[in-house]
Amino acid sequence: MTISIWRYSHLTLAVSSFVFILLASITGIILAFQPISEQIQPYKTADFETVSLAETISTLQTTYPEIIDVQIDANDFVLASVITIEGESITAYINPKTAEILGDKIETSKFFQWVTNFHRSLFLKGIGRFFVGLCSFLLFLIAISGSVLILKRQGSIKKVFSKIVNENFNQYWHVVLGRLSLIPIIIITLSGVYLSLEKFDVLPKEHISHSIDFDELSETPKQQVQDFPIFKNTKLADVKAIEFPFSEDVEDYFTITLKDRELVVNQFTGDVLSEKKFPLVVFLSSLSLNLHTGKGSILWSVILAIATANILFFIYSGFAMTLKRRKSKFKNKFSKDQAKYIILLGSENGSTIPFANALHKQLIEAGETVFISELNKYTTYKKAEQLVVLTATYGQGEAPTNANKFLKLLEDIQQEQKLTFSVVGFGSLSYPDFCQFAFDVDQELNNQFTQLLPPFTINDKSLEAFEQWTRLWSAKLELQIEIPKEDLVIKPKLSNKLKVLERTDVTKNPDSTFLISLKPKKSLRFKSGDLLAIYPNKDYRERLYSIGKVNGNMQLSVKYLENGLGSNFLNNLNLQESFKARIIKNTAFYFPEKASRVILIANGTGIGPFLGMLQQNKKQIETHLYFGLRTESSFDLYKEQIETLTLENKLKKVKLAFSQEVDKNYVQDVLFKDAQFIAETLQNKGVIMICGSLAMQKGVLSVLEHVCSKFNNKPLSYYQDNQQLKMDCY
Amino acid sequence: MKIKQLLFLSILILGFLSFTTVTESTKYKCMIQMTNYTGEAAYVVVSLINPDGAYEKTLYVQGDDEEWYHDISDWWKFYGKKRNNLDAITGATIAGGTRTISVIDIDNSKIDTGYSIRFETAVEDQEYYTKDVQFPLTSESIKSKQEGTGFIRYVRMMPN
Repeated sequence: MTISIWRYSHLTLAVSSFVFILLASITGIILAFQPISEQIQPYKTADFETVSLAETISTLQTTYPEIIDVQIDANDFVLASVITIEGESITAYINPKTAEILGDKIETSKFFQWVTNFHRSLFLKGIGRFFVGLCSFLLFLIAISGSVLILKRQGSIKKVFSKIVNENFNQYWHVVLGRLSLIPIIIITLSGVYLSLEKFDVLPKEHISHSIDFDELSETPKQQVQDFPIFKNTKLADVKAIEFPFSEDVEDYFTITLKDRELVVNQFTGDVLSEKKFPLVVFLSSLSLNLHTGKGSILWSVILAIATANILFFIYSGFAMTLKRRKSKFKNKFSKDQAKYIILLGSENGSTIPFANALHKQLIEAGETVFISELNKYTTYKKAEQLVVLTATYGQGEAPTNANKFLKLLEDIQQEQKLTFSVVGFGSLSYPDFCQFAFDVDQELNNQFTQLLPPFTINDKSLEAFEQWTRLWSAKLELQIEIPKEDLVIKPKLSNKLKVLERTDVTKNPDSTFLISLKPKKSLRFKSGDLLAIYPNKDYRERLYSIGKVNGNMQLSVKYLENGLGSNFLNNLNLQESFKARIIKNTAFYFPEKASRVILIANGTGIGPFLGMLQQNKKQIETHLYFGLRTESSFDLYKEQIETLTLENKLKKVKLAFSQEVDKNYVQDVLFKDAQFIAETLQNKGVIMICGSLAMQKGVLSVLEHVCSKFNNKPLSYYQDNQQLKMDCY
Repeated sequence: MKIKQLLFLSILILGFLSFTTVTESTKYKCMIQMTNYTGEAAYVVVSLINPDGAYEKTLYVQGDDEEWYHDISDWWKFYGKKRNNLDAITGATIAGGTRTISVIDIDNSKIDTGYSIRFETAVEDQEYYTKDVQFPLTSESIKSKQEGTGFIRYVRMMPN
């Protein structure tokens, strides 16, 4: 709930101000180059830091008959306005030590002036300034709400800078760049707001006025300018401006502006006649201006430019994300308390959403009131009669992410009226615990409500099965609904063509496992650990295999299942035959670029990606493999490759565990014996990678958890957050 | 023969001299001290006014944001048509209570010949003074201090 408030504000603010922010950002990026273009001019002298005020004033006075004033800008360029012996009036950069003229004053180019004008007022003068200032403030609020979102997303302040899960391009970079440019953006916006406020008389305006007792002014004791103590003791680098005496009357004086105060100095005696500190506003104003414009610092200007460019990206990616979210979100016509039918959905990757939406749509067309939501958003439904749960199962009979709190909510929330419910489970018979979560939900619901239909399972998103259930369900309720199949089919985009190079004979393997080598097009980029998605029937049904990159080709280790859609497809392909598939990047499961040591843990076909990773272990990072198989002869399939890897020093040690031999051993049992070695590896920033079945993963994780707390006194999650634990199990 | 040459030469020299005298000018230091008013910094335009009371030339502009120039309405009627390049004679606006010194260039022929110098001031959302300071250009006045009537407290001029 709270996350949606923040997200909603983040979005509302962005929508209401993005046009102005877009314009201000584009012009802002251009303007960042103005201070850079100024600063690369060669007008800063080498000894600028050491020259004293006395030196500069006296050399100027001996070189020029008349000096009006001197200003030192943010680039440490010394700009003097003088009249030369020839009677010429010049404003130019000078060398503060020799008074030599270095170059003419840099006039802001017409282009930059034009852009500046546009940036601060959009050519709308006062009104424009107001809007730009307001939007700057809105951007500040956007940055704040954005950081709250990051905070919530990452879980705690400590984790704000830990790794972000790369779910999709826009979201990932929105968060990564948001985090990086947060501080510059806050500085840009606050200083921008300050500069606008300044223009609107909101801030107190104070000017220093010196009160000098002109009757007390004396021309004696006269001193040379270069001997004035105040001038000798002040470095030019601390000075912002020097105003020379208007005439040789004693009533005219030097005015020296320092960073924090202004001094009035008698031009004959060198006495400080008055000294006034600047009020805080003056300091803040110049700070805001420098921070906002990047004046005086190339580095900061570049940071500002990059941060501003990021704003453009945020606008783009933010809207792209919102549109996507809108698309996949359920569009409810009725509120939760109006609807008679409640459809609740549990889905890990969104593949059951089309089913739920189709049902929703048909019910609405049949004139019913329906409310659709996620299982985790379970709440009270005042007019509900029928509850329909459509849910997938994740891992070993666990709840999908958007349903993991449902059973708890079901216990806590009491409905006022009796409901009738039906549960539909989605899953694949190739996995154990088929639709387990759906059964669990059914059982729990049965404690409170009346079951309309026993739980119905749908294998592999089968349209026929869903149709069948719809028929059963609508008949029970005497509804006339039918679900058009085209609503449910989402065609994947298959872009990569692969050719079958080699395949081992499945019949010769005791576990019906085979290795298949696929040749991609030259241009295809992939790494070991990426996933290959294949579509055996060229429809919505997808099968994923973890890729091992061996000799530039894709090597998959596949377990043949009699009714397995994917394994049958791959096993029936002819050599040299081509088919289309797609690659899913899986950056979270890449072999580390550097690590003190790597431990690979696999069982069965889980070895697939590791064979590729090991072959590319050109840096010969010390790598150990723990490999669980059924029988000793199961190893024959991989023996040759693994021996070569050992000879090439890419693999240091292999430990095998056989679950069907005399001394029954699972891979986690072997690990357990090497507990100390494992602990030491984690301690020394080594990396552990796990690939294989979920059952094995569960066993291995509990061993690792035990090892970590026993030897390292740290939870396993510590290393996981540190990216020392990478997993890809199925 | 000799006389002719001499005559020619003297005409030539005289011609040159007369030509140069026309453009001969003097630089003046000019200090503008503002009153302690509150609000935005002021735009100050210094103009040369001919004996008929009309604008002849812009001598200096304090304020470099051209966006606001048309608010200095009387001067804008003169400058706005031609919009000569003012870059060389432009400074920053002057805030209340502060002062600024600039160098302005006045043709010698305009002194003691009925010309005046005008300082007009304008502050955003406040008054506009066409003749905040205006005085005839004489060899005396050009070294003097003149009191202002609007945002300017006084103007001091000094030949260089």
